[in-house]
Amino acid sequence: MNTLLNWLDHRTGYRTLMHEALNEPIPGGAKWKYVWGSTLTFVFAVQVMTGFFLWAAYSPSTLTAWESVYFIQNEMTLGWLLRGIHHYAAQAMMVLLGLHFMQIIIAGAYRAPREVNFWLGLILMQIVLGLSLTGYLLPWDQKGYYATKVATNIVGVTPLVGPQLQQLAQGGPTYGHHTLTRFFALHAGVLPALLVAFLGLHIYVFRRHGITVSKSDETKPIGTFWPDQVLMDAVACLGVLATILFFTVWKGAELTGPADASEAYSAARPEWYFLFLFRFLKFEEVDKLGLEFGALYIPGAIMGVIALMPFIGHWKLGHRFNVAFTIALLAGATFLTALALKEDGADANYQAAVKAAVFEGHRATELAKEFDIPESGALSLLKEDALVQGPKLFKRYCASCHRYDGHNGMGQIPMKEIEEDGKTKQIEELATAADLGHFGSRVWLTNILTDYDKTFAPLKNAGEGGQRFLNGEMAGWVKDNADVVKKSENEQAVKSLVEFLVSQTGRTELGPFDETMVAAGKEIYKTGKLPEGAFSSACADCHGLKLADNAESLGDGAGPGYPTLTGYTGKGWLKEFIRNPAHDSFYGPEHNLMPAFAAKMTDKELEQLVNWMVGDYFRSKKTH
Amino acid sequence: MEPSTPSPDNSKTPRRGFLAGVASIVIGGLIVLTPLATGIACFLDPVLRRKTKFKGADTDGFLSVAKLTDLPDDGTPLRFVLRADKIDAWNKFKNQTIGTVYLRKIDNQVIAFNDTCPHLGCKVDYQESHKSFLCPCHASAFELDGKPTNKIPPRGLDSLEIKTDTNGEVWVKYQDFQCGIKKQEAVQ
Repeated sequence: MNTLLNWLDHRTGYRTLMHEALNEPIPGGAKWKYVWGSTLTFVFAVQVMTGFFLWAAYSPSTLTAWESVYFIQNEMTLGWLLRGIHHYAAQAMMVLLGLHFMQIIIAGAYRAPREVNFWLGLILMQIVLGLSLTGYLLPWDQKGYYATKVATNIVGVTPLVGPQLQQLAQGGPTYGHHTLTRFFALHAGVLPALLVAFLGLHIYVFRRHGITVSKSDETKPIGTFWPDQVLMDAVACLGVLATILFFTVWKGAELTGPADASEAYSAARPEWYFLFLFRFLKFEEVDKLGLEFGALYIPGAIMGVIALMPFIGHWKLGHRFNVAFTIALLAGATFLTALALKEDGADANYQAAVKAAVFEGHRATELAKEFDIPESGALSLLKEDALVQGPKLFKRYCASCHRYDGHNGMGQIPMKEIEEDGKTKQIEELATAADLGHFGSRVWLTNILTDYDKTFAPLKNAGEGGQRFLNGEMAGWVKDNADVVKKSENEQAVKSLVEFLVSQTGRTELGPFDETMVAAGKEIYKTGKLPEGAFSSACADCHGLKLADNAESLGDGAGPGYPTLTGYTGKGWLKEFIRNPAHDSFYGPEHNLMPAFAAKMTDKELEQLVNWMVGDYFRSKKTH
Repeated sequence: MEPSTPSPDNSKTPRRGFLAGVASIVIGGLIVLTPLATGIACFLDPVLRRKTKFKGADTDGFLSVAKLTDLPDDGTPLRFVLRADKIDAWNKFKNQTIGTVYLRKIDNQVIAFNDTCPHLGCKVDYQESHKSFLCPCHASAFELDGKPTNKIPPRGLDSLEIKTDTNGEVWVKYQDFQCGIKKQEAVQ
């Protein structure tokens, strides 16, 4: 063994190298505060390792990026762990970068003769930021897509060459395949190679000047890197890895819905470590100065001051200035980050948008698992899905009058601006038509029979027509029959009537139906007779209804303006109703208040809206 | 690890230094192996998990391929295309060619061969003039019943399970087999 090692040493000189590497003198001995540089190197090594294996499964194109990441995350062996480590290690790197920087400034390690190494460190910092930025886009999900768009748009305001630079980064005038191939080439090729090169120089120059120790340690006995400092470094790295694993297991790497250029994403935010810059740019004063000022000149000036710190440090109070400047920067960034988080936390519409994006991510995953992904990509799964598109269509076409469980379908409360005491104020826009959150369910039907006024209460905001509706014949019928409906002897009969109507909708998700109740309900519908008394008039006297299972007709209705209840709230009924609610078989031109959508919506939109409202979409065991 | 010469000003006992060294190596190994092993596990995914190659077969794995009447009565082999929904990692490509087979009808009994050469995976062709299957790559040759006629292929053509239904439809259980070995072993 020894002979072999001697042979090797004779040819490589590895013993001198090992000796050099491990016996670095540390005046005053090993200390925990020296670990940060090592933890950064370790995390970078983790990124290289996990990055290589992710690379082996990742496919950079707009039709395969999200899809391959989905596959890594949900299908491949330990893929979730691999991606989770890479994801959280990237964030750990930003934190460690900050700590390393603080340690260097406080220890005064930027001063002569270590200026060059300080600058090398700043270059490394830029490379790491570049890696974060390019990596964030690669999953091609809504979150990464819109966050990165902000960054490339900032590049676009660079004086003189902005648009050209932006197009070079994007690989074209807009985001597309080449944005991904370019970002990937930077992320997995150029930037890591640069990082390795500069890290080599950084460590080489570091070793040349040795560790910066405090004055009191200079006179203490000299320790060596091996083994005490190595052990501390290793323990610190273990702590970092444990934190990364903790977040991976606890939260996991997120994957929101596939990027969709056609869909506004109101929850667009950068990753948390850039949140301070985002908030800074939102100040009106900063905004007025122009984007290039806030996004380029000020950060550039700050980096400039940092780069000049070795010179500033020569002055009498220079070191104190540098430390104060660094702490002020950190405090400012912390304050802005907290401010951004607080504002977002209080913004219900932002929260709703985040929830929608997270939901789309889950839904796309669920659909991909069930149906596999077509060649048109995972986005097309969402585009064809009623559960995703329905609420959006509701928001677009219905929410100006209706609500859905109190919101606009997407969890947001519609707001409008008003002038009050010379100030503009945001107030809730009042609904002018019924809340359709439970449309067609047993609850909905029961409410119409027992609490008509409450069901259609928003119509009181709809002006004269709304008042007419609230004082109309049906409202009168409900009032007249309130007593007989409320009688406890009739409770079961009312339930049966509802059961019968629900059974006619053709909506399977409302089933199974109680056949005895359906039969009893049918009789009540026809005759209006109850165990205790009777309705003032039978349903069938006014509302025509053809049974779903055969052609038996329970009356033809009282003519135009008395809505037919054949398949009421079912798919077919709802479609025809939305197309033209003023049709004689619905409200009739005289009473109708709702616009006709036959010409406003495409058939596909109508289909998706209706399928969502009646609950006809794929459900995994987990959905609802 | 080469033991370092203890510095004279190092007051640590050698025993403590040794323990610190061992602990460093153990922890260092652990933190490097964790991400590395995770990556390797993911990389080994192809051999760790069974994959669906296509969807659309019946419950026993058979695909409808031809009508009995499509096959010549004299036993001449005819090549047929198998279509199904092809599964490629995350994608499903609808109604794709997932393979081709040779079918022969002898006395109303059908036999089926995978037309992939068991030597190194090129597609064999039926040569009417020689009444045999020939591989264009390395000249493997097979009789009409699939037996090799030279020493080039390690085994005969791979026969496939078939069934015929009452409508006169021929169904094939399509499988790929490992090339280059003597035994007929399905690729999982």
